[in-house]
Amino acid sequence: MFLLGRRQALALAAWSATSSQAWANAPLTPREQELYEAAKREGEITWYSGQYSADSSEAAGRAFNARYPGVRCNVVRSTSQVAFQRLSQDARAGVGQCDVLSSTNSGHLLQLKRQNRLTQYRPVNADGMLPAIRVSDPDNYFQTTFLGIFVMAHNTNLVPEADAPRSWTDILEPKWKDKLAVGHPGYSGAIGIWALQMRNMYGPDYLRRFEANKPQVGRSSVDPVTMLNSGERAIAVATATGTILLSASRGNPLKPIYPSEGVLAAISPSGIIRNAPHPNAAKLFMEFQTGPAMSMAVRELFADSLRPDVPPPQGSRPLDQVTLLSPSMEEAERGVPEIREQWREIFGI
Amino acid sequence: MSASTDTATLAGSQRPSRLRLLEPITILWVALIAALLVLVALPLLKMFVISFEEQDTGVFTIQNYLTAYGRQRYLDAVRNSLLLGTLSAAISVVLAVPMAWAVSRTDMPGKGFTWAIVLAAFIMPPYLGAIGWVLLAGPNSGWINVVWRSLTGATDPLVNVYTFTGMAFVIALHSFPLVFIFVKSALDLISSEMEDAANILGGGTWVTMRKVTLPLVWPSILGGFILIFLETIALFGTPAIIGIPARINVVTTQLWQFFEDPVRVEVASAFAMPLLLVTIGLIAVQKLLLARKGFVSQTGKGGERRQVKLGPWRWVLFGWCVLVALLSVVKPLMVLLQASFAKAWGRGFSFDNLTLRNYQFLLFEHDMAPQAVWNTVWFSATSATIAVVLALLVAYIVVRRLIRFADALGFLAMAPFVIPGIVMAIGFYAAYAGPPLSLYGSALLIILAFASRFLPIAYASSQAAIRAVHPEMEEAARILGSGRLHAIRKVTAPLLKTSLLGGWLVVFIVASRELSAAIFLVGPRTRTMSVLLYDLTEQGNFEVVSAFGGILLVITMAIVGIGMKLVGRDFMLRRE
Repeated sequence: MFLLGRRQALALAAWSATSSQAWANAPLTPREQELYEAAKREGEITWYSGQYSADSSEAAGRAFNARYPGVRCNVVRSTSQVAFQRLSQDARAGVGQCDVLSSTNSGHLLQLKRQNRLTQYRPVNADGMLPAIRVSDPDNYFQTTFLGIFVMAHNTNLVPEADAPRSWTDILEPKWKDKLAVGHPGYSGAIGIWALQMRNMYGPDYLRRFEANKPQVGRSSVDPVTMLNSGERAIAVATATGTILLSASRGNPLKPIYPSEGVLAAISPSGIIRNAPHPNAAKLFMEFQTGPAMSMAVRELFADSLRPDVPPPQGSRPLDQVTLLSPSMEEAERGVPEIREQWREIFGI
Repeated sequence: MSASTDTATLAGSQRPSRLRLLEPITILWVALIAALLVLVALPLLKMFVISFEEQDTGVFTIQNYLTAYGRQRYLDAVRNSLLLGTLSAAISVVLAVPMAWAVSRTDMPGKGFTWAIVLAAFIMPPYLGAIGWVLLAGPNSGWINVVWRSLTGATDPLVNVYTFTGMAFVIALHSFPLVFIFVKSALDLISSEMEDAANILGGGTWVTMRKVTLPLVWPSILGGFILIFLETIALFGTPAIIGIPARINVVTTQLWQFFEDPVRVEVASAFAMPLLLVTIGLIAVQKLLLARKGFVSQTGKGGERRQVKLGPWRWVLFGWCVLVALLSVVKPLMVLLQASFAKAWGRGFSFDNLTLRNYQFLLFEHDMAPQAVWNTVWFSATSATIAVVLALLVAYIVVRRLIRFADALGFLAMAPFVIPGIVMAIGFYAAYAGPPLSLYGSALLIILAFASRFLPIAYASSQAAIRAVHPEMEEAARILGSGRLHAIRKVTAPLLKTSLLGGWLVVFIVASRELSAAIFLVGPRTRTMSVLLYDLTEQGNFEVVSAFGGILLVITMAIVGIGMKLVGRDFMLRRE
């Protein structure tokens, strides 16, 4: 586990408001231009992603198509574990279909690197990212492309703010029995990271006590939002701020809760698969993800920006005011499959 | 010396004559055998073989079986599946048999309505029904429970979809049409004389139904029961949507876990093998149960079929049909439609909550949705064509007994009937996904899997249709000098056009909603609507999911409409 230092967090939060829509239409950098020419001959790029929500992923895909006409982005959005499972099935069949994998479980990328299944590439645009996330892998096999801040949320009609839980341990109290909703580490990468972080902080008993409150288990970390909107459950556990704010902006009675210990920061990478059928388009897509155009596109849907030149989405709490919690990548690679198995033993599913 | 020359010349002159013996029909027979091997036998064989192989090395091992059955949780999944199949099939029988009896034998009003409901329940994909019931019967927010609480002031929910019985019930609501079709067509054949005999001996309407009519259709009930059992244990969508929150692990969701990284096809195959044994066992049990009794109701002596007069009871039966209609079609469809036009479905119906955004997003902004619609249409159409052509040729050879061992062909064509769809998909993955063919993710692989899975439907309808055409019409053509294939093309096929089209449409419809056979085979550009719908359900946006379901239903209904126009309105429910 590591906590981002205050200075790093400050750097992370050093957004400037100088940017504008112009960024999305900004001229291509020389590297982009060069890759774009080569990518046009390949025609498309296939993106297996579990990072941004369905809406944001589609918006990112459309922004890519608009910025690089003639190269089409195939958005294959699912939960991160499912995306990784698809990649594994491809590999098992010896078929190369995926160009870029994006996962909320950084352990996935570390594993692929170790198995020599990634292509080294350092996007030039990464130099303009927030200092704290500029370098994800010292060997440049993968690059941070998603900054997921996972918090809790409450349905404001069912639970007033004063009564809402304030910390990750509050939800273990019996009064929240049958009121909680959560995703599943067998599907969602972020939930695997979250469960691991909770075990690291509060010991192996945490999941068992959490289970005693009978949370409704979905698949994605987004599922709890649906359960809250409908009134089926009152408290969402470990859901991305972007999803909560987007849903609230559509008129649903939702409000994020920033737990007192800190938020789960899923600093999530993407990498180019070694047998990618469209290698140049894949590199172009990495430039796109680290450049301002994608941050602009997903910001509209309340996902966090990766760059100081693109302002954070409306309504999200500045990152220098929150503590960021996260297991290390090595812990994630080893720990998530382990915790997934524990989860299945405890929850029976 | 001269003798050997003689033999040589003899052999030389025999060779062309032997080739002449090779009728086109023999070549066709070889081609058909090859096709059926590729579609049916090889995937299963490959699966059986790798279930005894070590990953990577291919060394013989039984470790896969030990892994697959070495945990309580995995065993629970098998038990849950068997229980779920039994319960769903039993509920289906309870729902469908009174309806079938009422429509076939009585003067119940509203038969057209009942018939339409059965059709509607049949074309609704089971996972859509499951989503509808999540919206209806969620313990806290489901509409049924909200209404119940406001009426009675109770705090506990009336119904809870996230339970074992809840899940079984939802599955049954979309499976019962199979029992209905089987039982109704059997009842249609029973002449009133048998019931009259019972009446004369003093049995009333109910006694007669219980002691005479129903026992006569017992094979059909059993057949429907087994079919629903098989369909249920192969379902993937409903257990993922309802079973995970309800914490019920079943075989299909467990198989999915074996496909997690590292992909363990070997263990998945080992885990699936007993499923095959169960289905084979069931068919054997069915044979055994039916072997020693006579169920002949068609005697060839005519016999009239009169409707049983029910008096006021006919309204009770009609009420039952209305209730089933409400539960299986009307209510789920209503909430799905409402959600698909809602900004936030949790807010319920109001004018300021209405929007077309969900449809607009799918049709114009979503990268994959239009592609998935197109994939679904052309995959289903192609696989239906392959299945019908193959089935027609096989059925022709079998029915006309053109060659020895024709029955082996028929057996192969019917075999997928007893193989759960997800097992078939794993077989296809094992056999064709990797080298040397490397078909994984290709349209061809999915089309072949669909064609194979639904071959029995096409075969059953072709067989019945060919039986109905007397050979003498073909013979007339042949006497006039036409070859056999020419005669088939010019005489038999035109006579069969309508029933073939009916079979084609049924295969098209079931293929367009198939999820479990597709889920392990699709690639990024070959996702079908059902797979994309499944992907959408894990993104916490029921409004968009409902809208996509709406699009799927519109397409299916258009096809059904065309079918009714061309083939007659009962084409889906006819069982030949």
